[in-house]
Amino acid sequence: MRSNLIAVAAALLVVPLGADAQSWKTVTMSQRLGGEDDLRVSVRYGAGLFSIRSADGGLLYRMNLEYDEDRFEPVAEFSGNRLELGVETRRRGLDIDSDEAGELELELARGIPMDLDLEFGAVRADLDLGGLALTDLDLSTGASESEVDVSEPNPSRLETARFEVGAAEFTARNLGNLNADRIEVDAGVGSITLGLEGRWQRDAEVDIDMGLGSLELRIPEGLGVRLRKDSFLTSLDSQGLVKRGDVYESLDWDRADRRVTIEIDAAFGSISVVWVN
Amino acid sequence: MYRLLRSAFVALGLAALVLPGGLDAQLREIVTKSVAASSSGASLALTFADDVDFELSFDGGTVYLDGEPIGTYERGSELDTAWRSLLGEAMALENGALAERLVAWEGPDGSSDGDVARAVDAALEEALQVALQDAPDEAPQVSVSDERTLARVLLGSVGRLSLLEEALEGVSSDLRVHVGEDVVIPEGSVVDGSMVVIDGTLRVGGEIRGDVVVVDGAIEVLESGVIDGEARVADARVLRNVGTIRGGLVDVLEEEREVEEEVRERLREEIRAEIRRDLRNEIRQVTRMEHDDGFSIMTPFHAVMRGVGGVVEKMVMIFILGLVGAGFLAFAGENMETIAETARRSPGRAAMVGLAGSFLLIPVWILGLIALLVSIVGIPVAIAWAPLFPVAAGLAALLGYLAVAQNTGEWLADSSFPWTGWIRKSNPIFTLVGGLVGLALAFMVGHLISILPFLGFIGNLLFAAGFIITIAAIQIGFGAVLLTRGGRRKEYYAAYDPDAAWEAAMSVDVEEEDDSPDTGVGGVDTGKGEDDA
Repeated sequence: MRSNLIAVAAALLVVPLGADAQSWKTVTMSQRLGGEDDLRVSVRYGAGLFSIRSADGGLLYRMNLEYDEDRFEPVAEFSGNRLELGVETRRRGLDIDSDEAGELELELARGIPMDLDLEFGAVRADLDLGGLALTDLDLSTGASESEVDVSEPNPSRLETARFEVGAAEFTARNLGNLNADRIEVDAGVGSITLGLEGRWQRDAEVDIDMGLGSLELRIPEGLGVRLRKDSFLTSLDSQGLVKRGDVYESLDWDRADRRVTIEIDAAFGSISVVWVN
Repeated sequence: MYRLLRSAFVALGLAALVLPGGLDAQLREIVTKSVAASSSGASLALTFADDVDFELSFDGGTVYLDGEPIGTYERGSELDTAWRSLLGEAMALENGALAERLVAWEGPDGSSDGDVARAVDAALEEALQVALQDAPDEAPQVSVSDERTLARVLLGSVGRLSLLEEALEGVSSDLRVHVGEDVVIPEGSVVDGSMVVIDGTLRVGGEIRGDVVVVDGAIEVLESGVIDGEARVADARVLRNVGTIRGGLVDVLEEEREVEEEVRERLREEIRAEIRRDLRNEIRQVTRMEHDDGFSIMTPFHAVMRGVGGVVEKMVMIFILGLVGAGFLAFAGENMETIAETARRSPGRAAMVGLAGSFLLIPVWILGLIALLVSIVGIPVAIAWAPLFPVAAGLAALLGYLAVAQNTGEWLADSSFPWTGWIRKSNPIFTLVGGLVGLALAFMVGHLISILPFLGFIGNLLFAAGFIITIAAIQIGFGAVLLTRGGRRKEYYAAYDPDAAWEAAMSVDVEEEDDSPDTGVGGVDTGKGEDDA
């Protein structure tokens, strides 16, 4: 994706007069690491395509951004250990004449302990958090289609990872790699898929609060799972789990090396459990 | 493996520290880069390591250097295209590579914008090559055992730089660095300046006039050895220390080890807490199993208490129903007798009517409510209808059940069971209470049997039988109440009284004769009948 945006940007650079009057602008911003011990990163992005991955080559960040400069302006501020990135609206009001969305590709420092706060609205997000040393994670999304993958284990211990999902299709993979003590998912309306694959380094809790929608839990074989459900008009397909008292447990709960306790508070919808290799 | 990695980390850090100008000493270090492009222009903004900003932009036909115009260009000209092409490459480059590419750029020769192109070229070179003049004069001496060691150093990670900074803090820049090799300072020799040994053993027999840093290796200070400054070890062993270290021996990783020990202790504590939690859960589970499976010592007493409690509960219920029944007998005795008689004589019909009535109760209630609510006059009635109808239905079922109980009591009084002698048929209260006992008998016996071990199945059967008897009694009684309109109509049981039927038949015929003078034949026949009678 990054190479695509750079190619588009390069084309825009080389063919300056080919652009139309929509004031599209492409910006590439980057900064080298300067011996930072830890970072607090905040990313705000309203609408468009959005991606994150870890940066190579001792970079603090690299941001490739395509946006309408009449409506937005890029934000890249670094002070102390606080890094703010994204775009902010230049003018208020409803833009009904705009049918194109921008794109933000972001790379963040690999291996530097980081508090990451992501907030985006109507976006299609593709986030690969692998390689980032996350010490805190807040992800808030509005009406979006988001995919989160933790492709590599987080080298830092993450106390709580919070995912606040509005009306969205939200997919998370390899959540075990987050190295989190607790994962909280607050979902409004939509389809949620949570993949608990990855390397769990300790027992953890997953707290899911879901309004209306479907929830699919993808659980790797060998992971001990205890599921407690407090729901109203919500079906549960609990294959591979046995009910003990008011909880559902995986067959190997007692002897599993790593155990995840899942608390689900759901209103209307369905919950399904899928076991994966 | 860990030691190897650590060595690599440390070595790279040292290499980075001692070789800063070796790789790109000719060019300034670029810290931040911003490349922007739109249809109206394209700009490049850089910030160097010394916090100097640089900005060069082509915007709307004018070239700006740090915000000041330095010339003009034509949009779409060769210069504009070359500049955009340069920035297109710059997007994917960082620091050294970016600086090299920018310095190497030359504007198009012979174009109409030639002067501006040269000015841009000069501005780039001036901005990026300043560092050459500022390069340090003295550099540390570095000795590397072989190329593989150097490769290992260069392929390491920068993650341990903080450790190196700590190890080298305060050490003079006059360094001798040895990577991957053993170093011997023989007795009588003197080394001016500090010494760093990475992945090697340092044997000090002479004098080192400076500090010594040993990383991932070993140090041996012989009796004749003297170190004027500190001897710092990071992940290194002290083989022997019988010489003189004037600045003292410092273990750089001591604090880190303490932190690791704290982490280990915390982990141990967490594991202990988890084990305690698991034990508590297991104890709870075992306790729950004992309770559920009935193997605890108290279980027999629980069974006795449950059984006796069930019997007492039924007796209390019989007592309450007896009081209610006595009230019915006192104030509506005739109605109750009619209902009881109807239930006795037409139990099947009464049961069917009761069943149908039960199913129709809710629809009738709702329809009645709707019918009343459609009119203003009916609304007050509906307000009464809503609660009173269910109450009336409940009372009807209760009345019917009591009537059936009375029949049951009479039947028990007539029976030859030895325990029914106390039921006196002449007293309706006795028959009512006796009937209630009879109807609840299955429940009470079931409760008593459940006290005994291994007879739970029989107890359950008795409970089921009691339930069926109760439902049947309610249905028959409720049907009888409906048939008799609450005990006010006697057709159903009167129709089965042969004497009454006969009398009724006779009286009808007599009336017909009197009222129908044209039917003389009939009158003759009737007269014969009367005679026969």
